[in-house]
Amino acid sequence: MLDWGWIGDHLPQLAFRTAQHLELAAIALAIGFAISFAIGVAAARWRVLYPPSAAIAGIVFTIPSLALFAAFVPATGLSILTAEIPLVLYTLVILLRNVVAGFDAVPADVLEAADAMGFTRGRRLLRIELPLAVPLIVAGLRVASVSTIGLVSITAILGDALGGLGFFIYEGMTRFFATEIAVGAVPTIVLALVADRLFLWLERAITPWSRRTRTATAG
Amino acid sequence: MRIPRTLALGASVLALVGACTTGGGSSAPSTSTAASGGASAPASAGASPTIRLGSDGFYEAKLMAEIYGQALEAKGYTVDRTGIGVGARKVSAPALESGQFDLKPEYIGSGLAFYEPGKQTGDPKANETALQAVLKTKGGGITVLDYSPAADQNAFVVRPETAQQFNLTTMTSLGAVASQLKIGVATDCDTNPVCAKALKDAYGIDVTNATKLAACDTPMAQALKGKTIDVGELCSTQPDIAVNGWVVLQDDKQTQPADNIAPLVRDDLLAKLPDKAGFEKVLNDVSAAMDTATLTDLNKQIAVDNKDVAVVAKAWLQSKGMIS
Amino acid sequence: MVAADADGDGRMTFVEATVRWLTDPASWEGPGGIPARVVEHLALSVAALLIATVIALPAGLAVGHARRGQGVSVGLATVGRAIPSFALMGLVLPITQAYDPANGFTIYPTLFAMAVLAIPPILVNTLTGIREVDQDLVEAARGMGFTEAALLARVEAPLALPVILGGFRSATVQVIATTTLGAILAYGGLGRYIIDGIAQRDDGMLYGGVVLVAALAVGAEALLALLQRLAARRSAEPIRANT
Repeated sequence: MLDWGWIGDHLPQLAFRTAQHLELAAIALAIGFAISFAIGVAAARWRVLYPPSAAIAGIVFTIPSLALFAAFVPATGLSILTAEIPLVLYTLVILLRNVVAGFDAVPADVLEAADAMGFTRGRRLLRIELPLAVPLIVAGLRVASVSTIGLVSITAILGDALGGLGFFIYEGMTRFFATEIAVGAVPTIVLALVADRLFLWLERAITPWSRRTRTATAG
Repeated sequence: MRIPRTLALGASVLALVGACTTGGGSSAPSTSTAASGGASAPASAGASPTIRLGSDGFYEAKLMAEIYGQALEAKGYTVDRTGIGVGARKVSAPALESGQFDLKPEYIGSGLAFYEPGKQTGDPKANETALQAVLKTKGGGITVLDYSPAADQNAFVVRPETAQQFNLTTMTSLGAVASQLKIGVATDCDTNPVCAKALKDAYGIDVTNATKLAACDTPMAQALKGKTIDVGELCSTQPDIAVNGWVVLQDDKQTQPADNIAPLVRDDLLAKLPDKAGFEKVLNDVSAAMDTATLTDLNKQIAVDNKDVAVVAKAWLQSKGMIS
Repeated sequence: MVAADADGDGRMTFVEATVRWLTDPASWEGPGGIPARVVEHLALSVAALLIATVIALPAGLAVGHARRGQGVSVGLATVGRAIPSFALMGLVLPITQAYDPANGFTIYPTLFAMAVLAIPPILVNTLTGIREVDQDLVEAARGMGFTEAALLARVEAPLALPVILGGFRSATVQVIATTTLGAILAYGGLGRYIIDGIAQRDDGMLYGGVVLVAALAVGAEALLALLQRLAARRSAEPIRANT
């Protein structure tokens, strides 16, 4: 079964790789969120922006992730940047949809009432639309965090320096070493589940008036 | 031609790089710190710039890079390991050329074939000379140091039952019965002069309908093991061969190129070294001390005994008295 | 910007190489030609989507309707999303290969991994879509005497259809893009161009393959988006008890 001795010997590496995994995922989520939020707000304001942004994001998603990661190496070198660019792109794809959906979910009559009450566009965005869009946005973050945590493993193809927990998965697969694969895969899944629960809690905390939990849908 | 191994299923096989995939092939600036003093400073490893190591993604390449690295560290050099395991040759070669790392272990036959397909031969000296000629023009000049007796070449391998059933010992004996067997070849076999054409011309083996898999890698070994194929194209130092008792068919007509290992070093690093001769000696001594049998055994320790690459490298260097 | 040219007739940019490869009639002929590879690719993708649907759709409908078991379902979907497909392929390979040395190597591992990939979006969207149906409508229908099954089939499912189709859309795009992995285990499909393009240093083939995959995925998505819009328009019509 599992080689517990090997696991015990490699705890420091496991800790290092877990921290690296979280770091890579957190950076991708933060940047991805910032960008998709900016684009999403703009797209909600100027509807015409949405189809092209969604199309570009959608096409990026179809490029096999391995190809995308390696394609950046000659330009950005062997650095965190090379790993982060595709990760951010994939995060964008998921979040953009949800951000726009969030703003779309604001009922039209609420917007009209706000306008009637004399809100400027800016204040309306900040005080009315944003709070109402938040549940779907946070739901999107939930899905994006899980997906990103999964994708970080693939950065292992960029070399030993990166990869997070994916390092163990790859090395374990080249030598048919089940324990090592498990050491990579199981914590990855655990991290994903924890992230999922965290954002679920955040969702509930932000929207105390919602009795049902909102599950982010894909598309 | 030796096909570079890939990391796990799918990993670096899809790790591709065109020289200009993202528009603008400007190379990343070299980041090695030049710490050496003036011309009158005594040669000392401590004053040398950091040696940045790089390698392909499969464990044998990482092992060689780690061995060279540890040997250098023992002599006082500072070593940076960021570039180890970056992917297939298609990624690591441009990375070396553009200066993202300085030192990389290479297989002289396959390395030559990468730049000049068709020029590789069964003679290691000829391959080294030709490779050096090509690399002089790449990335500002790259030097091929002495090659090792250790070579990792393409080997066509069968299960022992198959060998017994058809009386197989050499590639010629395979040629006689090839049409009855399922053959696995490298994904680039069709266009590779030392593969499809050589197999046809020398042994009469037709591989047009062969199963195409990354040579020398886990899928090929697994396919052979599980009887998806009967003949697999593996690498001679792959531990799977010994572990499974597979039979290597002798390349009696010498179609496969000599693939000895040699370190490639960027000329701009060599120029910055206060003690270039000493540096080269460290690497050459390591290369001379390695041979094919030992390499196969070290691979086994990594892939079968599941020892860490760094641990295996250190133990071997210690056994050779190169580090304490 | 130059890329190596496989037949050595001079250097060209990778864009030119790709266009050349795509417009070369030879690329379209034979068992290795584009039409054949597209068919192989779609065959595997569709098979995986069918398997995923058979598993995820009923489960999603049941969980969504009963309004129970959402936590577990979403948890499973989360786990499914977090595992890299190639790792799944590697884990399943020895088992399927023992069962069938030929297809158990080239087809089944990829099929399995792609089905697992497709399940989360279909499952989550289906159960969410059903749950989000206006409960007043559901109660009213119950009051009118609908059985639970009829309720699900005639009220909830049609109203949830746009969201459910959204799940299919997402699953389809992901599966089409990721079926390329099958080529690593000697399957055909469009992944063959990518893998062989790398091995043979034929950038035209390589990027041609990427373009084809993207086109196929975008095309499938556009089709499903259209269906989704049609479904949305239909579900806006009032439900009548006797239709």
